[in-house]
Amino acid sequence: MKSMNIEKLIGSIGNELEDEVVEALLHRFRGSVDKALKRIRRPQAAVGIVKSPLGDLLVATSPRGVVLNHYVHDDNEMAAIIAKLRLEFDPVEDQRAVREVGEEVRRYLAGDARALRQNVDLTLAGRSFQKKVLHKLQAVPRGAVISYRALGAAAGAPNGARAVGNALHDNPVPIYVPCHRVISSDGRIGGYGGGASRKLQLLRSEGFEVDNAAMRIPDSVVWGHKGTKIYCRRNCRTTAHVDRARILFFADPGQAQRAGMRPCKICRPA
Amino acid sequence: MAHEKLHVPLSFEEIMQRHEREIMRYLLRVSGDREDAADLFQETWLRAYGAYPRLEPESKVRPWLYAIATNLCRNRARDGARRARVIVSDNEESLAGNTIGRHHRSFDENEGYAAVHVRDLISDLPTKQRQALQLRYFAGLGYREIAVAMGCSADSARANVSQAMRKLKEMW
Repeated sequence: MKSMNIEKLIGSIGNELEDEVVEALLHRFRGSVDKALKRIRRPQAAVGIVKSPLGDLLVATSPRGVVLNHYVHDDNEMAAIIAKLRLEFDPVEDQRAVREVGEEVRRYLAGDARALRQNVDLTLAGRSFQKKVLHKLQAVPRGAVISYRALGAAAGAPNGARAVGNALHDNPVPIYVPCHRVISSDGRIGGYGGGASRKLQLLRSEGFEVDNAAMRIPDSVVWGHKGTKIYCRRNCRTTAHVDRARILFFADPGQAQRAGMRPCKICRPA
Repeated sequence: MAHEKLHVPLSFEEIMQRHEREIMRYLLRVSGDREDAADLFQETWLRAYGAYPRLEPESKVRPWLYAIATNLCRNRARDGARRARVIVSDNEESLAGNTIGRHHRSFDENEGYAAVHVRDLISDLPTKQRQALQLRYFAGLGYREIAVAMGCSADSARANVSQAMRKLKEMW
């Protein structure tokens, strides 16, 4: 026994396990592994890059809706976003499954107001405050904008304009969750995660005539009060002391009307 | 700006398909017991699935899987469960029982005993040396892969294996 080569012996341990043996064991236990995995499975998400008038978009969709819609800047950023996606979903590359999102964005920018048909899956909106902000934001219709401050107030943080800004910066589903419809309360356009020029492009397609130099919404917008459901001209005397946290700005009276508001009887904006 | 190439990592199913055989084989050799190996097999994949999102896409999957399997084996040994038994002496009935039995009969009696003895000696080695030895001889990993799996340098992986070998030869 002494003479036996120990290295050979160690190497031979388990060598009698022929392929069929391992195969039979696998066959026997694979099912229970799959069963156990099923309990902790993350949902699948189709991932792909689509072209749009706003540039390339990295898109992910789950069975519940659009999970991710991100302006593509560089490959490193894309890798970081996919890494974040992987914490909640099992990504599968599937260009065909996400193509529809690019189509919808294209039609939307061309003026089709009902183009964005897909549901939104806010799984990636982590913090509860962010979820609340994005949820409230979805109620702001096309043709209207809201201020950071007013959105904060709606989400339960009247002094949280900056917090709203941060929450929107991490919006996983821009365009579908319209974070481009949020502006400074003094009328300036403010920033945008995808760059201010994209924000301009989106707002213009929704009817706001924004000047490239001024970067402000025009004075022609009407102020709609969320509580009274009345809309006014900007220079109406009632706007001087109104609670700005309850104001939506509409591109024109027609948009306010469509949102279920009536014109002010003092300034007669319609 | 051409972003045609998406870097979506391999799906977990694909990883399982690629590595389930070698992981099963490794666990059988290390634990020396089919029921243990089956438990560890399941546990390895569950852990791997949970940790997979945190594995950097560029890192190697194989040593990472072996790291999980090895740590689970260590935990099981530490929790004092069972003493290693040799597969050839395992007469439990199973699907594959016949195949192993046939080989068993053809095995030299001495060789069977030697295998038991070696297994005992291996289980007495210090943890790191034992793990390095098992990864080298049971899984056939290279020293660099062992280094990744054990979280050490390739040199210390090599040192651990050779020290383990020296000790085994002394005790033999």
